[in-house]
Amino acid sequence: MTDITLKIREIATRLLQSDQVDVFVGWEKGPQEYQTRPFFVRRVEDVEKLVFNEYSIHNLTNYLLKYRDSTDRVGLVVKGCDSRGIVRLLQDNQFKRNRLYIVGVCCPGIKDPLKIAKNQSGLACPPNNEEIADKCTRCLVPNPIIYDELLGESQEPHNSGERFSEIKTIENMDPNQRYQFFEDTLTQCIRCYACRQVCVACNCRTCIFDEMKPQWVGRENSTTDNMMYHLVKAMHMAGRCIECGECERVCPVNIPLMLINSKLVKDMDHFFGSYEAGMEYVEGQKPPLSVYNPDDPDDFI
Amino acid sequence: MQVIDKNKIVPLLDRLSKQSEVFVPTVKGSESGFYSWNSLNGAKEIALEALNVYHSPKNVLFPQTERMYSIEQGKQVFSIPDTFQDEKSRIIFGIRACDAKAITCFDDVFLTHGYEDSFYATRRKNTIIIGNACYQPGANCFCSSMGINPVQPDADVVIHDAGTVYAWEAITVTGQQFTEQVQDLLEEKDLGLPQLKPFSTEFDYDGVVEKLQGMFDHEIWHELAEPCMNCGTCTYMCPSCHCFDIQVKIWGDKGYRFRCWDSCMYTEYTAEAGGGNPRPDSQDRFRNRFLHKLEFFTERYDYPLCTGCGRCISVCPNGINIIDIIKRIKEVDKIV
Amino acid sequence: MCSCNCEQPLVPSIVEVIDIVDETPDVRSFYVKCSEGGVPYSVQPGQCSMLSLPAGEGMFSCTWQEGNEYQHYAIKKVGLLTEELHSIEIGQKLGIRGPYGNGFPVEACKGKDMLFIAGGIGLAPLRSFIKYCFKHRDDYGKIDILYGSRSYADLCFKDELFNLWPQEKNTQVYVTIDNAEPEWDGHVGFVPSYLEELNPNPNGKIAVTCGPPIMIKFVLQSLEKMGYIDDQVITTLEMRMKCGIGKCGRCNVGSQYICVDGPVFTRTQLRQLPQEW
Repeated sequence: MTDITLKIREIATRLLQSDQVDVFVGWEKGPQEYQTRPFFVRRVEDVEKLVFNEYSIHNLTNYLLKYRDSTDRVGLVVKGCDSRGIVRLLQDNQFKRNRLYIVGVCCPGIKDPLKIAKNQSGLACPPNNEEIADKCTRCLVPNPIIYDELLGESQEPHNSGERFSEIKTIENMDPNQRYQFFEDTLTQCIRCYACRQVCVACNCRTCIFDEMKPQWVGRENSTTDNMMYHLVKAMHMAGRCIECGECERVCPVNIPLMLINSKLVKDMDHFFGSYEAGMEYVEGQKPPLSVYNPDDPDDFI
Repeated sequence: MQVIDKNKIVPLLDRLSKQSEVFVPTVKGSESGFYSWNSLNGAKEIALEALNVYHSPKNVLFPQTERMYSIEQGKQVFSIPDTFQDEKSRIIFGIRACDAKAITCFDDVFLTHGYEDSFYATRRKNTIIIGNACYQPGANCFCSSMGINPVQPDADVVIHDAGTVYAWEAITVTGQQFTEQVQDLLEEKDLGLPQLKPFSTEFDYDGVVEKLQGMFDHEIWHELAEPCMNCGTCTYMCPSCHCFDIQVKIWGDKGYRFRCWDSCMYTEYTAEAGGGNPRPDSQDRFRNRFLHKLEFFTERYDYPLCTGCGRCISVCPNGINIIDIIKRIKEVDKIV
Repeated sequence: MCSCNCEQPLVPSIVEVIDIVDETPDVRSFYVKCSEGGVPYSVQPGQCSMLSLPAGEGMFSCTWQEGNEYQHYAIKKVGLLTEELHSIEIGQKLGIRGPYGNGFPVEACKGKDMLFIAGGIGLAPLRSFIKYCFKHRDDYGKIDILYGSRSYADLCFKDELFNLWPQEKNTQVYVTIDNAEPEWDGHVGFVPSYLEELNPNPNGKIAVTCGPPIMIKFVLQSLEKMGYIDDQVITTLEMRMKCGIGKCGRCNVGSQYICVDGPVFTRTQLRQLPQEW
């Protein structure tokens, strides 16, 4: 990874010096090694702080939303899963390709700094796995699918076991059992909206949950309002979730959000497929639920 | 010195929970927090010996959602049949100094400066606080730098872990009365208290407020705020963040108004009905949060609204570290 | 008995709407009193009340309290709650709690000449002070009122503006609209530029201003240019509020809460605050 770090610095220096980008988005080391965090470089002097290490887990494509209304040209580093986020933003017309310089990194699998932070915090909780992050164990796309420059050796997906096996378990529950499962899971939610904030597919200018006129979803921390929040969010993800797993990673109360998203990924592929969101960028192409097709299946309605 | 044998803690909690709702630091699944002793059926994994629990007990005195009063509406009618005052007696057992100080912050916010918040006041009046002195600070702890003595929590009674027993120290009159009720579980014993272990982080907070007073327009906020995605995790996990929203739930003619935690990280927080917003950018909201904690609160109440518990450091998805920020603020003169 | 519910400051008491008057296409005045008679509590000029319908609560400056008879609120339709308020009829019950905020320094201004500068619905909070001055006319010197709106139709309190106030002793009322209209023979232009045209002498004068934030900012600049010192300039601010009692955290500007420490600030106080209003 040192190699990759050096190459990223080299590229960033080149892009800034040649005035190809206004800002370069990568990672820097925090006070603790595991607190590697997003870093924004505007001056060549700061390039030396850029790193790519085993904790570079954040999907930086979300930060492009901070620049969508500016004219800044942005260089950024993406791993395989993150790169699908770029397709998401391009398809959603949130960003123009020509304002981006994408440095792709073939991802060897990353550790989750949050898990390590929790383990080291001393707060009473069962110990977390400090090895490869949960989201990487479901990895399908370690190698970026859209980039201007590619770093690192091509990697095999890090997923293990059958895809959607957890979903199948839940599909096989009887309806009451399944309802109970989600009720138990979603009552934990503290409605902090971290899952929405880190989501690159959540790029609406005014989120439906912030809409006050009318207010669609109540702010109460109750089973009803919590479920409403998660159901509405999930439905908005259908055909759009790029499976970066950030929502689940940042949830402060460990809600298995990717279970819900993966079910929709599976159903989208089944009903409207074959389809995987953000797997390739073809100009003008839309996710299946963003266009109407007379042949769209409707027997599940 | 009065002590209670550690074996007697469960009997004590069982007894107390017959008259009061007792909130105890416990592990529940992948979470830990101050849960009601009676609600913990079966395995009760008490976390009194852990550094702290993941969720602070802020929910006990300031529930995330709290119904305030019922309302009825009809043609031209608007009435308030009931006000919900929660007068249940409560005990928070085993709170650490950082979280106890956060309750002191709440007392100042909700009970002083012209108005007494009746909902908080009723709950607070009926709550006894048993502190748990902290001798072994954790990796992200910095309460001592924020002016808090970890072995002397703001509480009615303080217990000190001394091996097989807890030393029992009644602090307030309420604490003395409470001690009398459980006298039969206590015994006299001579013992020495442990030594406070050193903090991994200590800094001199003096001068930070004065420094910040001249830093509202400083460019450093841009850099500090850039990684922040304005998720509300830090505000919801913080023991001292007290901002709330007032909302309504209504079905047909009947409903209720409630208040719920809110976060200054959200755009909607300051969005005005007319469309304006005094803090439109992510950076404005980030700055307001840190200035509220580190400067504005001190200007109003004379001490900071951060108690050094370190939870926000552990939960920030993007590695934003308040200790780091305070240090950066202290260094500002050198940077410019 | 005190009906202000001061034991439970977040729980409203109930009042009844006894009259509704259209001021402009989107501003309506509501007269309220307790069903059993009287006002729920006494409001000083510049103080606010939290009014509510079942759908929600909102903070409004009390535009006038007539003794123990009624309170008057002029409310512009801008959002969900105000839309609902505009749809109610006489006899409607409203929730009310207050009074909130510091109000205008009516005592400290005694003996001074007064200059009121307002834009749009910004005249609503000033109206309570203006009417107070007229009620205690001999306590104040010359009164100048400068008011502007987008159009003639958008001018609030037209009867007072054109008929009642100009008749008051030693009083001048200046009205302007943003754009020319065929029927309008008065001044055309924005408030701050009209103010500079009039160039009122700062000697012995207190200027009180309220309007859209952008207008306030320019008015403050103009006053400074004309030689008004900071202590002579008073404004009243608005922020989104929920509790009204300095607890919910939302209306802070620096360490000050608009709901309890404001909404009225002198320019001197304003300078101590961050530019975030």
